[in-house]
Amino acid sequence: MADLVHKPSQANATIRVSRLARIINKETNFQIALVAPLQLLLWFLLIVPTIVVLYLSIIAWQPILGDWTKAPIVWLKNYGDVLSDRVFWAALGRTVAVVTIAVSLEFIIGLGLALLFRGDFLAKRILTSVILYPMMLPWVVVGFTFYLLFLPQGPVNYLLRQALGPGAAVSWFKEPLLAFSTIVLADVWQWMPFMFLILYSGLGALPREPVEAAMTLGANRWHIFRHVILPMLKPIIIIALVIRALEAFKIFDLIFIMTDGGPGTSTESISLYIYRLSFEYQRLSYAAAMAVLILLLVTVITRIAIRPLEYHQE
Amino acid sequence: MQTETNKGVTTARIVETRKLGPALRFVLALIVAIIVLLPVIWILSISFKPVEEWKADPPTLLPRRPILDNYKILFRIGNPVGTVREMVSSAEPVNRAFLNSLIIAPISTVASVLIGFCAAYAVSRYQVGGNFMPFFTLTTRMFPPAAFAVPLLFYYSWILRNYLKIDLYDTHLGLILMYTGFTVAFSLWMMKGFIDAVPRHVEEAAILDGASPWRVLFTITLPLVKGGLFATTLFVFILNWTEFLLALEFTSREAITVPVQISRYATAVGEFYGPKAALGIIASIPVVIAGYLIQRHLVTGFTFGMVRE
Amino acid sequence: MSEERPLILLRGLRKEFNGLVAVEGLDLEIKEGEFICFLGPSGCGKTTTLRMIAGLETPTAGDIFLRGKRINDLPPQQRQVGFVFQNYALFWHATVYDNLAFGLRVREVSKEEIDRRVRETAARFELEPLLETRASRLSLSAMQRVALGRTLLTEPNVLLLDEPLNNIRPGLREVMRAELKRLQQQLGRTMIYVTHDQEEAMTLGDRILVMNMGRAEQLASPRQIYHRPETLFVAGFIGRPPMNFLETQYRVEGDRAFLERGNLRWEVSEKRSIIEEKVKGNRIVLGIRPEHILPVAEAREKGLTGQAVPVTVDLVQPLARKKIVDLKVGDKVIKMLVPGTSSLAKGEELEVIFDPRKMHLFDQKTERAIV
Repeated sequence: MADLVHKPSQANATIRVSRLARIINKETNFQIALVAPLQLLLWFLLIVPTIVVLYLSIIAWQPILGDWTKAPIVWLKNYGDVLSDRVFWAALGRTVAVVTIAVSLEFIIGLGLALLFRGDFLAKRILTSVILYPMMLPWVVVGFTFYLLFLPQGPVNYLLRQALGPGAAVSWFKEPLLAFSTIVLADVWQWMPFMFLILYSGLGALPREPVEAAMTLGANRWHIFRHVILPMLKPIIIIALVIRALEAFKIFDLIFIMTDGGPGTSTESISLYIYRLSFEYQRLSYAAAMAVLILLLVTVITRIAIRPLEYHQE
Repeated sequence: MQTETNKGVTTARIVETRKLGPALRFVLALIVAIIVLLPVIWILSISFKPVEEWKADPPTLLPRRPILDNYKILFRIGNPVGTVREMVSSAEPVNRAFLNSLIIAPISTVASVLIGFCAAYAVSRYQVGGNFMPFFTLTTRMFPPAAFAVPLLFYYSWILRNYLKIDLYDTHLGLILMYTGFTVAFSLWMMKGFIDAVPRHVEEAAILDGASPWRVLFTITLPLVKGGLFATTLFVFILNWTEFLLALEFTSREAITVPVQISRYATAVGEFYGPKAALGIIASIPVVIAGYLIQRHLVTGFTFGMVRE
Repeated sequence: MSEERPLILLRGLRKEFNGLVAVEGLDLEIKEGEFICFLGPSGCGKTTTLRMIAGLETPTAGDIFLRGKRINDLPPQQRQVGFVFQNYALFWHATVYDNLAFGLRVREVSKEEIDRRVRETAARFELEPLLETRASRLSLSAMQRVALGRTLLTEPNVLLLDEPLNNIRPGLREVMRAELKRLQQQLGRTMIYVTHDQEEAMTLGDRILVMNMGRAEQLASPRQIYHRPETLFVAGFIGRPPMNFLETQYRVEGDRAFLERGNLRWEVSEKRSIIEEKVKGNRIVLGIRPEHILPVAEAREKGLTGQAVPVTVDLVQPLARKKIVDLKVGDKVIKMLVPGTSSLAKGEELEVIFDPRKMHLFDQKTERAIV
């Protein structure tokens, strides 16, 4: 082959990079303009509250003790207390369980539906709107609806009795495991559409040509799905999972309305616990410390989860 | 559109087997839709039921004594019956809540998506902020809101008011700023995902041809991620429209939003599910309309560069 | 090559998109081992045709035969065609190696065999140092080689290329063009090459199918297309600068025939019988290529006769070794190609002659060539 065409390909690659680098430098103003609004907003919103929370977490203070500026600084004592709090660990574990199960279900069902909806069929638009509907209801409404549904005298038990006989009804909110399930069910019902939405538009945004190329190369549907579509979808899948998991982790409204943490504290999520500490027990410093710990934990895990999406120099 | 039809046909050909034709898809989708609808039907049912039937045993699908009072109460129409009257005085007619929500939610959504999109482009194409900054924005979503509420309240009422003479409590602007700020991380990450999926060489070609970066951003990249843009917009809109905790803490009279309004239908005796259900249904209507309208844009007609047919 | 049946046969092919007709009434035979170009402007249907051959689109009407077998309903996977897309359509999240190996992996070839063949192809296309590089980081020329390589590895019946050199900058383009041609001759594989660049088609193709608005205009070798364009469109599309067209009236005087335009007359008596047989009406378009217009003096030197056309020089554009001169004839502007040494300048008035051997006549109504 003529060497004119094929100077070592690395040279081509290098040329490309440096050309790009020159362009990037010319455009620093552009880049700054792009992110400036975001930065301004976040700093405005975040800094002071974060500082306040941090400060709160290192002092020993409750509102009944009076002025917070005079409260003694106890540094890491609150943190130590949190880490040795059994209730904290229980709530944390529970929350992780809810998140894992719920998000997995949402993902699988959402993906399945997204694939199903890729072709055209009768009343597709309407059915899509229906499936998206649960997301559009305020939490509170979803919460009390499922509460009413699972009441001992509610429709779910009613149907169970009809289908399986009088003994089939269960006290959904009296058994920890059952209460747990109702919450997972409510969450999946409400948020599966989110996964569906993201995956559906993700699938739609995929370029068709690699898929066509794969077809001409002889790949069948399954092979294309596994080796072409899924890898291209990967960034979107990861983001969808991360976003949803972050939200699910903070689950509060549903539990508050449906079970109020009960029976006992068996469905208390970490958010709920913090809420109780803040508003019912007024142990603000303690709650602040817990919040910071949670933040650290979530940060670390998210960081690991996002790693595949990061940019590397090559 | 030509490209979308092609696209639909091509990907449909890939995903569907000979067996999974449109008919089967319809049936499956219908089944799922019905399952999804069941709780919704129950809400509807409640919204037409009088108070004694909300927790009635045995539960019935159709109200034994259907009433429109639950809906009437929302709009202060007519004379509500019985115990409901007590509650009426404590809650405002929904007009104000709706108006507020209709101002606050769309504005913060548009702002959030726009800011997020620009930043996402910067991160995706130029790696602005490296790996840290985008990640940092996620912290706004990581804090349990309960923990955040108190400090934020403190910030708004005390610091801003005293030091900068700006009072954002119970104002539209205050909520808009917060909503935008707290959803912008979403916008960024979701749009980043979609932008990442677009290979760069179309943009690079345009830049090398001399187009200004702003033009490239809005005339080339934006159309290509249109689907993602609409999905993000819808989602952020839903978040803003249904947001509860912050609205609860930061409004009292002027700027209350619909979710807060829903929570106010209660008395000392218990929750008023009827009006809550009714308002819940009504509140979801704008979102449903928005969702239906953007559907056609959820699928981008994407091809590398231009298609010559 | 034996006169067997053609490799690919298109018969009455038609494709509609939502009521818009992209391809209409296309008949074509493609011989094994030939390099054929589909040439035409954007939207003429060449890419659609290519995609139908590949199986990426289904014809609305008509048939496609591969080696005598009707393949209209055969999915692309089973057609054994190779397709190189305009933007290469590489699996850009995968490495070059994976891209190349894709087709083989689909066919469940053994790992060692895959490795051997991939490396062999990589060597041939000088992609070896890039084997572990992600496709998204390649230069355009590398992408093109990978796209080509991965298709060749599956040993297709026929190679379909959709404007693959579009994104390559001009200097590199000619070189890669030559490479492609050489490759095709080496491998002896049938290639169908879609392009809108007539220069490209003329250099590469054994035969060219010129298309316009979904219809086939002419199918012939490059020589024939240049020297004997069958329609007005083909005549005007091929050649740079393009052919000049002048509308004339056909007039008979005694036993002589003329084409008249204003006070200009070209005698066409020898072609009289053909013209009268083929043309309805008397409007004829006279076509002459810029390279076939000569200043009167030069023409007489060469012994050419004909109507001397008085013109005024309107614009002189220098090219590499030639110049394009815009000449005003009445209210119309025609272009003439002259050597770079010419001293013609704007405003100058002179007379030119159209080389009578190279005049093309077209029926204005049907737009078909007469001679």
